[in-house]
Amino acid sequence: MSRSTQVIITGILLALLVLFYQGLWGDPKHIPTVLIGTSAPEFQGPDVESGELISLSQFHGKVIVLNFWASWCQECKTEHENLLRLHARFRNHPDFVMLGVNYQDEPEAARTYLRLYGSSFRHVRDIKGTVAIDYGVYGVPETFVIDREGIIRYKWVGPLVGEIFTHFTQQVLLPLLNSRQSTPT
Amino acid sequence: MIIEIGHFAVIVALVLSVLGIVASVMGLRTRDGDWIRMGRIAITLIFGLLALGMASLVYAFLTRDFSVYYVATTSNSTLPLFYTIAAVWGGHEGSLLLWVFLLSAFSTLAVWLHWRTQPAIMPYLIGVECLIMLGFLCLIVFLSSPFERLIPAPPDGKDLNPLLQDPAMVMHPPMLYMGYVGFSIPFSFAMAALLSGRLGEEWIKVTQRWTVFAWLCLTTGILLGGYWAYYELGWGGYWGWDPVENASFMPWLVGTAFLHSVMVQEKRKMFKVWNLFLIILTFSLSLIGTFLVRSGILTSVHTFATDPGRGLYILLFVATVIGIAFGALMLRANQLKSPIVLDSMISREAIFLFNNLFFLVAAATVFLGTLYPLMIETWYGAKVTVGPPYYNAVFMPIALGLIFLMGVGPYIPWRKASMASLKKSFLVPGLAGIVTVLVLVILGIRSIYALTGAFVVGFSAAAIFLDFGKVSALYARREHLTYLKGFLKAFASNPRRYSGLVTHLGVLVLVIGIIASTIYQTEKVVSLRVGDEFYLDKYRVKLVDIHEVEGHNWVAKEGVFHVFLGNERIAELRPQKRVYTASQTPTTESAIYAINMGHIFLTMPEVSPDGVAVARGVINPLILWVWGGGGIMGLGVLLNIFRPRKHEEG
Repeated sequence: MSRSTQVIITGILLALLVLFYQGLWGDPKHIPTVLIGTSAPEFQGPDVESGELISLSQFHGKVIVLNFWASWCQECKTEHENLLRLHARFRNHPDFVMLGVNYQDEPEAARTYLRLYGSSFRHVRDIKGTVAIDYGVYGVPETFVIDREGIIRYKWVGPLVGEIFTHFTQQVLLPLLNSRQSTPT
Repeated sequence: MIIEIGHFAVIVALVLSVLGIVASVMGLRTRDGDWIRMGRIAITLIFGLLALGMASLVYAFLTRDFSVYYVATTSNSTLPLFYTIAAVWGGHEGSLLLWVFLLSAFSTLAVWLHWRTQPAIMPYLIGVECLIMLGFLCLIVFLSSPFERLIPAPPDGKDLNPLLQDPAMVMHPPMLYMGYVGFSIPFSFAMAALLSGRLGEEWIKVTQRWTVFAWLCLTTGILLGGYWAYYELGWGGYWGWDPVENASFMPWLVGTAFLHSVMVQEKRKMFKVWNLFLIILTFSLSLIGTFLVRSGILTSVHTFATDPGRGLYILLFVATVIGIAFGALMLRANQLKSPIVLDSMISREAIFLFNNLFFLVAAATVFLGTLYPLMIETWYGAKVTVGPPYYNAVFMPIALGLIFLMGVGPYIPWRKASMASLKKSFLVPGLAGIVTVLVLVILGIRSIYALTGAFVVGFSAAAIFLDFGKVSALYARREHLTYLKGFLKAFASNPRRYSGLVTHLGVLVLVIGIIASTIYQTEKVVSLRVGDEFYLDKYRVKLVDIHEVEGHNWVAKEGVFHVFLGNERIAELRPQKRVYTASQTPTTESAIYAINMGHIFLTMPEVSPDGVAVARGVINPLILWVWGGGGIMGLGVLLNIFRPRKHEEG
C-alpha cells in the first residue's frame, strides 16, 4: 500500500469521524424556518403543461399557496386530493392563487402525474432545482403561503392531510384571505 | 427478581469480556495454552450469560411486568403473544442486547468449530470478538439498559409501534443483525491474519462458509425489510432508498464484492491486500450502519430517539475498532507484495476486478447519497433530502453492468481468454439477449431501461442455462444416465460453482421482478363514496361498503372493494384505516390480490366523516418475482453452505 493510499484512507476516516461527531449535536427533526417573515424569493420557469413562462411577481398582491411536489414522491399523492379540494374551494376568491412547483422531475413524468391525478391549477417546472434551494425546500411535499405583500407567512413540510389540512385552511389561509385588502399599488 | 438476574448476568458478561481480552493478550505473549483455554471458557460463558439476559427479558415481556421501563415502553397488555416476544427487540435497548447476544453465539460457535484446526488463530479470534462485545456491553450496561425498573409501575404499557406488529418485522432485525455479526467472524480471522503475519489463503478458506452464511442472513434481512415495507407501509413499493435501508445495503454491497474476490485469491493467490481491505470495510460498514441507525443522526421513516451521549459513545467505539483495523492493514500491507498484474484484461481475474469495482462504486454512491444531507446540514446548516431520482439515475447503470458481468464471469477462463473461446461461450447468450429484446419490442415495450435490462438478463440467463445444459448432457452421456440424473451428478461434481449459479439465477429472477414492478407500475388515487367505481388499468374497482371493524388491539374503518375484469368479479379487497387503541396511532393496511405473478394493491389512506374515502390502487406487475428470486438466491446459498466438505478446506 503506497503512502498516498494510506493518507487518503486516513483522511477519509478522519473526515467521517468529524462529520458524524458534528452530526450528533443536530436534531434531525428540526427544520429551520428562517424564511418565515421574509420576502418570497422571485422565480421564473415554464409551465409544466403548456411550457409558457410563469413568474412569481405576476401574482403580486395576491395570497399565494406554493406547493412543491414531484411525480416520484409518494407523500405528494396522499395530499393531492386535498390540494384539488383546496383549490376548488377558493378559486373564485379574487385574491387567491395556487401554484405548484415541480421539483427534480422529468417533464414527461410530471405531465403523466397531472393527467392521472388531475390538475386544476398551474405548475411551474423548477428546471435547475434553484427555486427549491431559494425556498430552502427540505423535501417534497412542502407548502408555503405568501401574503399580499409577498412575505412568506407559513411553511409546512410533509403532506397536507387530516388535521394539518384543516388547520391550514381554517387558521392559515382563511385569515390571510379575509384580512383587509392591501391598497392597490 | 428475574429481571435483576438477567441484568446481573449481563454485567458479569461484561467483566468476562474484559477477561477474554486479557486472556487473549496473555496467551499471545506467553504462548501458554491455559490462557487461551481460559479465553474459550470466557467466551462460552458470555454466550450463556447473555442467553440468560435475553431469557429474563422475554420472561418480563411474557409476564407483562410493566415495572420494567423497557417493557412498559414497547409493549402493552393487549399485545398478542407473538408480537410480545418480538417486542424484545422492538426498541433501542433490546435490539442492542439482541445484537451482542447473536455476536456471542456466533463467536462461541466459531471458537469451538475451529479450535482444533486453527489453534494459532484462536487468541486473535477471542480477543477481537471480546473487544467488540465489550464495546456493546458497556453501551448496554451504562447507557441503555433494557433492565431498568420503573417504580411505581404503570398500570399498562405504551405498546409496540403498530408498524412493527407484522410477521416480517419480527424476523427482519434478527436476520439483519445475524448478517452484521456474521461478518465479524471473517473480520476476526482477517485481523488474526494481519496481526500474526500469517497472510496466506487459509483465513479465506476457513471462513468461506461463514461469509456466505452472513451474506445469506443479510440478504434475507434486507428482503424481509422490503417485504415489510411493501405490505405494511402501504405505499406500494418495497424499497425507498431510506437512510436506514441504505445502512444495511452498504455492507451488503461490499460483502458481495468480498464474497467474489476471495475466489481470485484462492485460485490465483492475488488480491491479498484487497481482500483484507474488503472484509474490514464490510464489517466497518456494518458497525457504521449500526451507528447511523442507533444514534438517530439521519432522518428516516424509522423513528428512533436521538441521544447525543449514546451516539457519541457508539461513535467513539466504532471509530476505535475501525481505526485499529485499518491501522493494522496499513502497517502490514507493505509486507504483502502481491501487485495486481493481470495477464489479460479478458480473463476471469479481470472480470472479478470489474465486479469489485462496480460493487464498490455502487456502495460509494449509496454512501454519498446517504451522508450528503448530513454533510450539507453540518457544514451549511441547510436541510436537503436525496430522493430516489438520484439513486435510480446512478445505481441502475451500475446494477445492469453487474448483471452483465454475472453472465460473463463464470464462463471466461482464468489468466487469458482467446477470441475463439469467447465466441464459443458467448455467441448463444448474445443471441439470446438480442432475441429477448426483440420479443419485448414486438410486445410493445419501449423503455430503454427495460430493454437494456432485458438484454443483460437474457444474456446472463442463457449463459447459465447453457452451462447447466452442457454439463448435464456431458455427464448423462458419459455415464449413461437420464438427463436429470446427469444434472444432479454435474451439480455434485462442483457444488460450489453450481450453487453459485443457482444464486445468480435467483438474482436474475429478482431483477426481472424489480424492473417490471418499477417501470410498469400503474397507480391511481381517487376519492369516492360507496357505490362509486374507478378503473385501474383494465380492472374496474367498485367501493361497495365502508364499515367499522375491531381487532385484538385496534379498531378500523374497512372499505369493501370489488374488483371486476370485464363483467366478472375476480376479487374482493378490504383495505383498512386502523387506529391502534393503546397508542392511538393510525396505520394504513393494504389489501392485496395476486394475479399473473403481480399484485393489485389497494389502500384507503383517508375516510372523511361525510363518507368520502380516498383510495389508492396500484398494479405491481411481476412483484412475486422479487420474493421468488430472493427465495432462489437463498436456496443457492444453502446448497453452498451444506455442500459436502471435501479436500477444499485447509
